Amino acid sequence: MILKHLNELYDYRDLIWKLSWGEFKLRYKNSVLGYFWSLLEPLLMLTVLYLVFSNLMRVQVEHYQLFLLMGIILWNFLSRSTTIGMFAIVGRPDMIKKIYFPRDIFVISSCITALLMSLFESVVFFIFMAVFRVPISVNLVYAPLILIFLFTLALGISMALSALNVYYRDVQFIWDVLMQAGFFATPILYSMDILPETLQKIVLLNPMSRIIISARDTVIYSTPASPEDLLFMFASSAIFLIIGYAVFSRLEPGFAEEI
Amino acid sequence: MPTIEVEHLQKVFRIPHEKRNTIFESLAGSFKPPQYETFQALNDINFTVEEGEALGIIGENGSGKSTLLKIIANILRPTRGNVKVHKKITPFLELGVGFQPNFTASENVKTYATIMGISRREIESKLDDVLEFAGLEKFRDTKLKNFSSGMQVRLAFSTAIQTDPEILLMDEVLAVGDMEFQQKCLDVLNQYRKEGVTIVFVSHDLGSVRRFCDKTLLLNKGVQVALGNTGDVIDRYVYGGNQASEQVVSETEQVEVEGEPETKNRWGDKEVEITGVEFYDKFGNSGSRFNSFDPVTIRIFYQAHKKIFDPVFGIALYSEKGDNLFGTNTELKNLTIDSIEGSGYIDLVIDRLPILTGRFSLTVAVHSHDHKPYDWHDRLYSFDVMPTSRDAGFFEIPCNWKL
Repeated sequence: MILKHLNELYDYRDLIWKLSWGEFKLRYKNSVLGYFWSLLEPLLMLTVLYLVFSNLMRVQVEHYQLFLLMGIILWNFLSRSTTIGMFAIVGRPDMIKKIYFPRDIFVISSCITALLMSLFESVVFFIFMAVFRVPISVNLVYAPLILIFLFTLALGISMALSALNVYYRDVQFIWDVLMQAGFFATPILYSMDILPETLQKIVLLNPMSRIIISARDTVIYSTPASPEDLLFMFASSAIFLIIGYAVFSRLEPGFAEEI
Repeated sequence: MPTIEVEHLQKVFRIPHEKRNTIFESLAGSFKPPQYETFQALNDINFTVEEGEALGIIGENGSGKSTLLKIIANILRPTRGNVKVHKKITPFLELGVGFQPNFTASENVKTYATIMGISRREIESKLDDVLEFAGLEKFRDTKLKNFSSGMQVRLAFSTAIQTDPEILLMDEVLAVGDMEFQQKCLDVLNQYRKEGVTIVFVSHDLGSVRRFCDKTLLLNKGVQVALGNTGDVIDRYVYGGNQASEQVVSETEQVEVEGEPETKNRWGDKEVEITGVEFYDKFGNSGSRFNSFDPVTIRIFYQAHKKIFDPVFGIALYSEKGDNLFGTNTELKNLTIDSIEGSGYIDLVIDRLPILTGRFSLTVAVHSHDHKPYDWHDRLYSFDVMPTSRDAGFFEIPCNWKL
């Protein structure tokens, strides 16, 4: 059944791409600075956070700008993909009520839109890397793998949220709050070693923590990702995807009536 | 082997009294069971469509036609029963789904084509054809929001017909657009039929259904009333569809006649009273809906309170707008009635109703030879004519083209 569905999705690859790319273009179509907003936004956020945390809070981390930027970009991806993904079904009543194709296509393509936006943002990151003369090592090979785990995690969450949002419109507010809390519960601004050991263990249960830590290690600090982290990331993103699809396929038959 | 199989299909919509839209409401309401109305949209529908066959679905508004089509298209799911579709469906349920007003015509054509299942490479090569067919070559790079709705429909339609469908679901697509556009639609439909595409066609346009469909399904309030040969089913719809409601109509008319002797639509000294008017179709059943070109009999029931010499019965036909289309009476047709007394009826027999389509009202009157009205019912009766041909206008004029 999974194979059959994958096959079906493959048949619709053109549509998935078209929807993702269309949404991507649409997001910048009417803004004066166009695509540069995409670059400006993380830069502004970085500037503010950098000023506050390195000067006022005196955080001592090597390459703190890059450390921070990596965290922001990855977290932005999760927050953006789940926010766009959450409205993937609710935002297209026309398509849901009047035509049929596998409806996870909408969620998948909105996650791809978010991915495109984040990849575009990461251009800034690599420019920074060059400016600060941080060498790129072979450990960069882990990066795509981590990105796949992150994408899978985001897709799983988006699947569940998009389906729940059809039935319960306050899901969006709840999720907003959770994301706000998550931003601080994830080592984005700080490194793990400032936390007491018990707290570290709890923070590491958050799949985003390991994703961000491993991404920094492999890209900035030339350290290979630990097998334990890889396994945890794989398992957690797989579990989120399975739960996401389970919720989605349970609720999907009623979409056209409920929306 | 059948392409579409529908077995014991049932669809029930649940309409909650108060909609619980948030988690909070759901939690708060979990103590009392939700109250809802159920609405049976479809009940025990059974049919199959063979490969290359064209099935028409007809019925009144709200009879479940579109719901059925949406279930076949997998947009809605059945409450009970099975729907099996063995080939790829191309839904023409609505044209232009997914159009983005902020994108240009050519961008939208590409997106819409992908939605309709045309591959990217294919549409690149056909883009010029599509724009030309829609007559919009000049507007290739115009944003869709600057298009008129007619232009948008044309664009959508010419994109949609680039598909290579196996099963085509059409819902009132022909209802939009002008005559020229409708003609284009019909041509394309014809082409698909010749190519052996399986078609399911929902329409109020009985003329198109008659021309295109091998068999037809008649629904009434979600119940399958008839399935079979298109001509027979359409007759069933037009002449036997909803006897019940027609009876109600004629009863109210009767009440009006008896209860309000002097309304503004009725006058006369009542020496002869018209007690009722009935229309009879070609099967001899009373009704108020007829196929064009079918025979109709108008029966006028009267009651003469004393012996009346030389009465004249007449009718006048009006369009919905109130134009007088036709009128005649017994005198004009050289029928002299010596005298009438007591109750009886007189028939006006129309061998062939030359009206194309529409709703028409009828004046029925009886008056004396010197035009003193006994009873005049001004436009108190009406009937509908269902189209069977595609000529335009009110009436058919018998004619031939010669070259």
